[in-house]
Amino acid sequence: MKTGRFEDLTNAQAGLAAAAAVAVVAALVAVFFVAPSEATLGISQKIFYFHVGSAIHMMLLFALCGLCGLAYLGLGGRPGRATAIVDGLGVATAEVGVVLGAIVLVTGPLWARKAWGTWWTWEPRLTLSLMVFLLFLAYLALRAFAGSDRFGRGVASGLAVIGLPALYFIHFAVERWGGAHPQVVFKGGLQNPGMRVAFYASLAAMSLVSATLVSVRLRVEMLKGQLDALYLALDRRSAGG
Amino acid sequence: MRALDQFAAVLRKDLTIEFRSRDILYPMALFSFLLVVVFSFAFLSDRGKARDYGPGIVWVTVLFSATVGLNRLFDRERENGCLWSLLLAPVSAGAVFLAKVVGHLLFTGLMEALTLPLILLFFDLAVVDVPVFLAAIALGTVGVSLVGTLFSAMLMNARMKEVLLPLVTYPVLVPVVIAGVKVTALGVGAPLAEEPGPWLRFLVGFDMVFGVVTLLLFDRMVRA
Repeated sequence: MKTGRFEDLTNAQAGLAAAAAVAVVAALVAVFFVAPSEATLGISQKIFYFHVGSAIHMMLLFALCGLCGLAYLGLGGRPGRATAIVDGLGVATAEVGVVLGAIVLVTGPLWARKAWGTWWTWEPRLTLSLMVFLLFLAYLALRAFAGSDRFGRGVASGLAVIGLPALYFIHFAVERWGGAHPQVVFKGGLQNPGMRVAFYASLAAMSLVSATLVSVRLRVEMLKGQLDALYLALDRRSAGG
Repeated sequence: MRALDQFAAVLRKDLTIEFRSRDILYPMALFSFLLVVVFSFAFLSDRGKARDYGPGIVWVTVLFSATVGLNRLFDRERENGCLWSLLLAPVSAGAVFLAKVVGHLLFTGLMEALTLPLILLFFDLAVVDVPVFLAAIALGTVGVSLVGTLFSAMLMNARMKEVLLPLVTYPVLVPVVIAGVKVTALGVGAPLAEEPGPWLRFLVGFDMVFGVVTLLLFDRMVRA
C-alpha cells in the first residue's frame, strides 16, 4: 500500500520535483549572489527574474491549454485514453497557469511601484497578462460550474480554443490603445553576464516547477477518472446482483 | 442553396415567435433604457465631460443589453429539447448557428435604434461623422453577436448560465470594446490624434476571424 507523499508520485515525477527544488535554490543563489544589483533600481530589480519567468510560462501554458482544447474537440470528446489525457492536461495547464498569473500580477505592480512610481498602468504587456489571467479564470469557472460531464468539458475546450485568436486581437488592440504609456525597460536586453546567468537560472527553475505541477495535476485528474470508472463498475455489479 | 433555405427557415421561425411574444426585445429595450438613465445620473455631474464618457457608455450599454438578449436567445430551444431536434434534422449546424446570430443581431439592432439616440440626447452629443459612427456600431455588434451566440448555445443547459455567459464572453470581447469606443469617440468628434480607418479594419478582421472560428467551433462543440 502506497501512502507516503513521495510514493504517490511516479519515479519520473519525483525526479522532476527534486530537479525543480534544486533549480529553485540555484536560481535564488544566482539572483541574490551572482547577479549584481541594478544601478538605478537597486534591489527591487531582483523581482524581475521570477516575474518574467512566470509571465513566459503563463503564456506557454495558455497556448498549451488552447491546443488541448483543440485536440479535445478534434477527438469529438469520444471516451478513451487520448481524450482523458488531453482533457486532464487542459485542466492542469489552466490551474497552474492561474497560479503563475497570480505571481505575475502581484510581482508586476510591486516592481512597477518602484520602477515607474505607480502600482498599475494600462501598459500593453500588463493588460495582456491580466486578460490571459481572466480567460484562465473563466475557463476554470466553466469547468467548475458548467458541469464536469462531456458537455461542460466541450464548452471549456471551446473557450480555450477561442482564447488563442482572441489573445492575438487583444494584444493588437491594447498595443495600439496604450500607445502613450511607458515602454518596458528591458528592450535593450540584459548586458551584464551575472544578470544573464540569474535570468536563465530562474527561467529554468520556473520551467521545472511548472512541469512538476502540471504533471502532478494531470496524474490527479487521470486517477480521478479511474476512480469514477471503478465506482461505475461497482454500481453496475451491485445492480446486477 | 439548401443551406440558405434552412437558414431562412430558422430565422423566420425565430422572428415570428419573437414578434408575437416579444420576450427578448422588451427586456432588452427596457434594460438598455434603464441603463442609460442610471448612467446619466452617475456621470452627468459635469456637462463638459459628457463627450469623454459618451462613447464608453454607448459600448457598456450595447454589451450589457446584448447579454440580456443572449441569455434568452436559446431559452425557447431548451424546452422539449428543441435545439437537439433541430440539429438532428438533416440541416447544417452552420445554418442554424448563423440564423441565431442574425436573429440576435436584428434584436440588438432594434434595441440600439432606440437607445443610442437617447444616449446622444441625454449626453448632448452630436454625431459629426455618421458613416464612421454607424460602421463602429454595426461591426462591433456583429462581433458581440458571433461570440455571444456561440457561448449562449453551449451554456444553454448549464447551471448559472446567466453568470457564466458574461464571464466567458467579455474577456474575448475586450478588443471589440476597445476598438468600438475609439471609433465611436471619433464619430462624435472627440479630439483624438487618430484615424478611424485602422480601427475599422481591425473590427472587420475581428468579425471575419471570429465568424469562421465560431462557425467551426459550433459545429465541433455540438458534436462533442
